[in-house]
Formats: sequence, C-alpha cells, structure tokens
Amino acid sequence: MLDLHPDEELTEIGALARSIGSELLAPSARDAERDRAVPPDVWHKLFETGLTVPVPEEHGGGGVPEPLTLLTAVENLAHGDPGIALAAFWNGAAALLIAEHGTLEQQQVLSRLATDPGVRSAVALYEGYGRGPAEYATTITVDGDRVRLVGTKRAVAFAASAELYVVAGVDAASGAQRAVVVPAGTGGVTVADDAGRAGRIALDAAQAADVVFDAELPASALLGGSDAGTLTATVQRLRLLTASAAIGTAVRATEYAAQYATTRIAFGQPIAAFQGVAFPLAESLIRIEAARLELAEATLVLLEDPTGDHEALVAQAVAYALSVGTQSTRQAVQTLGGHGFIKDHPVELWYRCAAALSALDLDTSRAPFTAAL
Amino acid sequence: MTYSFTLSKPLQDYSTALREWSAAECRPYARQADIDKRRPDNWKTILDTAPVPLGRADRELPDPLPTFEEGYWVSHLAFYESINYGDIWVHPTLGNGGIGHLVVQAMGTPAQIEKWYDDAFVKQRGDTGFALTEPGFGSDTSKVATTATRDGDSWVLNGTKMYCTGGAFADYVVVFATIDKTQGAKGINAFVVPKGTPGFVVAKENEDKLGIRSWTTSELVFENCAVPLDHRLGWSAEGGDAEVGNGQGGALSALAWNRPNMSALAIGLAQASLDTVTPILKGQQAGFTPQRWASVERDLEAMNAALDRGRRLNYLAQSTVDAGNPSRSLSAAAKGYLPETVERVIRRCMELLGPEGASKELLLEKWYRDCKIMDIFEGSGQVQRIVVGRSLLGRLAG
Ligand SMILES: Cc1cc2nc3c(=O)[nH]c(=O)nc-3n(C[C@H](O)[C@H](O)[C@H](O)COP(=O)(O)OP(=O)(O)OC[C@H]3O[C@@H](n4cnc5c(N)ncnc54)[C@H](O)[C@@H]3O)c2cc1C
Repeated sequence: MLDLHPDEELTEIGALARSIGSELLAPSARDAERDRAVPPDVWHKLFETGLTVPVPEEHGGGGVPEPLTLLTAVENLAHGDPGIALAAFWNGAAALLIAEHGTLEQQQVLSRLATDPGVRSAVALYEGYGRGPAEYATTITVDGDRVRLVGTKRAVAFAASAELYVVAGVDAASGAQRAVVVPAGTGGVTVADDAGRAGRIALDAAQAADVVFDAELPASALLGGSDAGTLTATVQRLRLLTASAAIGTAVRATEYAAQYATTRIAFGQPIAAFQGVAFPLAESLIRIEAARLELAEATLVLLEDPTGDHEALVAQAVAYALSVGTQSTRQAVQTLGGHGFIKDHPVELWYRCAAALSALDLDTSRAPFTAAL
Repeated sequence: MTYSFTLSKPLQDYSTALREWSAAECRPYARQADIDKRRPDNWKTILDTAPVPLGRADRELPDPLPTFEEGYWVSHLAFYESINYGDIWVHPTLGNGGIGHLVVQAMGTPAQIEKWYDDAFVKQRGDTGFALTEPGFGSDTSKVATTATRDGDSWVLNGTKMYCTGGAFADYVVVFATIDKTQGAKGINAFVVPKGTPGFVVAKENEDKLGIRSWTTSELVFENCAVPLDHRLGWSAEGGDAEVGNGQGGALSALAWNRPNMSALAIGLAQASLDTVTPILKGQQAGFTPQRWASVERDLEAMNAALDRGRRLNYLAQSTVDAGNPSRSLSAAAKGYLPETVERVIRRCMELLGPEGASKELLLEKWYRDCKIMDIFEGSGQVQRIVVGRSLLGRLAG
C-alpha cells in the first residue's frame, strides 16, 4: 500500500539533524571552508551524535539508523552546512560498508572507528566523467590468495589522513563488483596531493584528493571475502545519501532566499510580490519535493531488491537531485541580486557547494544538457 | 540575399588574434588574479605582448581600437567576447571598463561631452565609474536616496553608493542623486565627480565576492561633496540648458547599449570552458563506452549551438544600435537570453569531467563563479524580461 508519510523515527531524526545542522554546523561553515577542516569541537560533537559513523551496537557504535533515516539525517545536516555534513558522512561511510559487508576479521576495526573521533577512514568510489559503478574502471582481481587493485579514484575524502580505504571496483576476470579494504601505507597507493592542495570550488573540509592504486593485497582484504553479496546496492545507497546533501542545501538556500524576498523592497513592494521572484522559488520547492521522494524510493528499491541492476534508477535519482541543488542555489543567489554575489550572505557558498556536488557524481549521459531558453 | 551571418574578414582576424593572445598570455595569470583580488602586478608587460591594438588607457599615444565596417557596437561584441576568452581580469585594465562615460555621452551638453567623453575618456582613455546602486535599491532605480543640494555655485552631494565597479580608482564617477525627492524619478540627476574631490570617500575599496574577484567593487560615500554647477550633466556653469531628460532615463539608456556586451563577455567565458574541456575529454575518449562518448559529443554540440544563438541575438541588437535605430527591447532580449545558459554550459563542462572539473587546477570553477554576475548586474534577468515584456504588453507587464 502506498505510504509517503515519514514515521515517528524519521520525523524525530530529521528534526534532530536539522537542529544540529543549524546550531552546530551552520555557525562554523565559513571557518570550515577557510581552514579546509571541520573545527575539532564541531567534529567531536557531531561524532558523538552517532549520526555520521553508523556502527552497530555490538561493535561499540550507537547503532545503524534505518536507510531512510540516514537519508533524512544527511539532508538535514547538510541544511546546516553541506561542507561539514559531507566531511563527516564520507568519513563514516567506510564504517557503513564494513559493518554491512565486512568479514568478522574486517569488522574488528569498527569499534575503533565508532569510538575514536580522531581516526579517519575513506571510501574510494568516484571516477569522474559521469561514470557510475557499472562503468568503474578500477579493477579488483583475485589471483589465488592475492588480490590486485588497479585504478584511479577521484575526490577521495580524507585521502591523506585515512587509516584505511574501502575501494570499489570490478573483477577484471569475472566482471563482478568488488571492494577491498586497503590499510593506509600499503605499497602502490599514491595520494595525488595536487588536487587537494589546489582545492575545489567548495567542500574542502573533507580534504578530498585523487588516489592512484596499483597495489597487491592478501585475499583477506576483499570486503566480505570472495562473495561480495549485495555490495553494489550499498555503494548505490552511498551515492543516494551524498545526493541528499544537495537537497538539504537546496532547501536551505530556498528558505533563505524566500525570507529575503519578503523583506527586500523594490518598486514599492516586497520583491516576493513579483512572480519573477516568487515563481522560481516555488519551482525550487516543487523540484525539491520531487527529488526527495525519488531518492527515498530508490533507497527502498535497493533494499527490497539488493541484487538487481538499479544503475539507471540510481543515476536518474542522483542526477536529478544534484541538478535540483544547482538550480535552487543559483536561484537563491539570483533572488538576492547583487547582495547574493557578496560573501556577506551565505547563498554564494551554497551555489558553490551544489556545483561541487554535481561535478562529483552526475551521470551526464542520462541527463543531457539543456539551455535555459 | 539580405542576411549574412559572417563577420567581415578584418573583424574575424582581429577577434581571432585577440582571443588567441588573451588565452595564451593572459589566462596564465587568471588564478592568481582571483586569489589576489586584483590584476597582476605586471599587467602592463602582459598587455605589451598583444599583437593587436587593445585601446589601452595607459599608453602615452592614443591606442584606439580599430574600426570595422560592421560599426562600433557590433565590433565591440567581438572585442568583449575575445578579450574575456582569456579571463575576466584583462578587460578592466584597459581603462575603458567603466560605463560612466556612456552617461555623459547620453545626457551631457556638447561642452560636457567634449570634456568628459572626447577628452577624458577617448583621448586620455580615463577610467570611469557608474554609481547608481545604493544599499536600499538596485533594480528600482527610482529610489535614489543620495541627494544633491544647490549651494551657490556648487552642487553638494550626500549619500552612499555601493557595488560601484572600479569606483575606488576611476578618474571620475558619474553619481546619480536626487535634487527633489518629491519628484521621484524626475528628480534624479547625474553628476560627474572627479577622483579626489573633497567629501568623496572610498568607504570600502573592494567587496568579498563569489566571482569576478579581480574587479574592484567599491562602496563610495559622499559627505558634503561639492562639485561645480557644470558637473551636473545637462548643465553649464550658468545653470540648466534645454531639456536633457532625467537622470534615471540617462542611466537606463547608458546601460541599455552596454547590455549585449555583458552577454558577449559571458559567451567568452563559456566558450573558454568548452574549449578547455573538449581536448581533455578527447584525450580520454578511449576510456568511454560508445554510448557515453556519444552523449559527450551531443552535449558539446548542444552547448556550442546555444552560444551561437546568443551571439546572433547580440549581433542583432547591436547592429540596430550601429544603424542608428536602437531598440531597448532587443538589447534586453540579448542580455536576458544567455547568462543562465552560460551558467549551465560552464557547469556542464565541470560535470563532464567530474571532480577534476570542480578543482582549482582548472579555471572552470572560477568561470562558474564569475559568470553568475552576468544575470544580475546591468539589469537582472527579471528586469530584462520586464523590458522585453513591455514591448509586447505595454506598462501592464512587470
Ligand atoms: C560585482 C558587482 C558589480 C556591480 N557594479 C555596479 C556598478 O558599477 N554601478 C552600479 O550602480 N551598480 C553596480 N552593481 C549593482 C547591480 O547593478 C545591482 O546589484 C543590480 O541592479 C540588482 O540590484 P539589487 O542587488 O539591489 O537587487 P534587487 O533590486 O533588490 O533585486 C533582487 C531580486 O529581485 C528581482 N526583482 C526586482 N524587481 C523585480 C520585478 N519588478 N519583477 C521581478 N523581479 C524583480 C531582481 O531581478 C533580483 O532577482 C554591481 C553589483 C555587483 C554585485
């Protein structure tokens, strides 16, 4: 039966994440951007909420939120600040993968990840050029009791400080989706620091850099052993979770612009009274609702049928959510006019964050360029 | 046949030379100019390498832009696109980046035009500023709160202007002020305020901005700033001349003909982005599935076609200005058309590369920040739609 209403847990966690976002993250957004790091006290407090490093209780964590709950949590933390929210989420994503798919031996590390806020871990997924998991060129090939990992991953958060990487790829021989757990310091792992040093248009608090892998590992490094099971579904979920940060950003930007529009006077009335101002903001709101539902449904489909091929479904949901992020944030800047272009207001930051997100994982082959007019 | 979409050979050659030079010699300084929030220190040496005249203000001898059979305004479109193709830092260094002189040209008496347009701007290639926007308004130009009060042989200005491009360094700023608030728009007049006039204070040299950071965006305060009577456009030392129209009208017409130039600037950035990613993508073609490669080619094709549509509208608008038959609606159409599409083009270029596209190792992310202003200043996208709408629907539109 159709049910599109959030249950109590979802509502509560959403509200909690929203308040953490506005009270803890938002005030530190500019500092995090300037320092290219989440301020330590903010990091610790966020870590303690348990929302960002989802580890089961038996491994010393605070429990793993339901998938939809996590989606809501990321959106609402990003409503506070996408830069800090994503840094924390990407750090915790390795724990999520290991908790879900790791062997008992691999899960030993979870208690450390769950309890020590000083430890960083990384997931290496994205490869650029709009490619999703089905087209990942990184190979993870089993050869007897060894595993060979070859490939380049882009924008790996905490690439230089992580103690371990979970790297996704495909088996060159069988074509099966695989992931490996790679301890930092493994030979043949090179962090291309240049991109990190130059920085990006936004989201630099996650200290992302490209990583080149050309490494040999023991077979025990394979996440979940030889049977990767429903690994792909979890990787796809991570993409959806990341995209939900674009929705949180879009919501915040739209709210901010709407508030501004009700107070800024031009031609004798608040600019909100002009359809040229109100309609684009209303369209942002409509798009946001549509995108949020699409992310939620895709998440559910992955849970219900974790072994199916959902690349198209996920790619569409992600591409749409990311484009809603960029469209809503440009509209927010536009609503503030010249004032939106100045750093005194935060809309310019969200404009940049949304762009960084859409460059991360938008499958351009499924969402053709369209001109505005 | 009456139509031709081809520029004359001399203008084509000039544009190509300018574009190639600006990409090769100026673009390498783009990142640093963005970080430093000003032009490179060695800008003169860089400009010296130009193979074609740039219309530089810092030259002892006049350095006029060549004239082409297309006419002044159409030629300027090619100029704006090509010079900004390298990067946006270059253009303001030439000394003709401001638009204050356009107001002088539109509203001045013959004597004022000679002094501040022909002499100060054309001959001495001075920098001019345009100070209209105030904290309380931008689009609604009837709300000028800066006042000008007659005191014997001077006009005394009081008020705050913000976001004045080049205002801190301009040789003179054209300041819009009201002589009688009860008259609304009719009371607004334009005053030439030279640099260094007592009471002309640069309150903030440059804002912290999303983009075009190498451009100066100044806040100016006028505190009992007195200028002679003949600094009021349309006036002589003896007082008012014949009907010269109000200052708001002058401001708007000064802006009108410059609008397609801003669209051309945006095209320069978008074309630069396309030309940056195209070879990178081609170099990676082997790693693409055939379907993905086909989609890349389709996107590149669609983006190039979109820019060409914008170019045609620009040329249409400016050729009517050159023909002495200008249309505000066509100018507004040209500026209303492309800026948002340019945002999308540059963003798509970033998306086609992926995370590398958002990295500061390339300039795409910078141009994505720079281009956003094009849909805001010199009349926002909404304002352009109101102007075009009024040509269709009359005053009801808005
Ligand atoms: C970098 C920079 C350089 C600038 N350079 C100059 C300069 O040299 N000289 C100068 O005088 N100014 C300059 N400006 C100011 C610029 O022209 C104004 O910011 C612009 O006109 C918009 O005005 P505003 O910011 O007050 O926005 P507002 O007028 O407050 O408008 C806010 C929003 O409401 C919309 N809106 C307003 N009225 C309507 C309506 N009737 N119908 C529909 N929508 C409407 C606008 O389109 C905009 O989206 C500059 C600004 C910047 C940021």
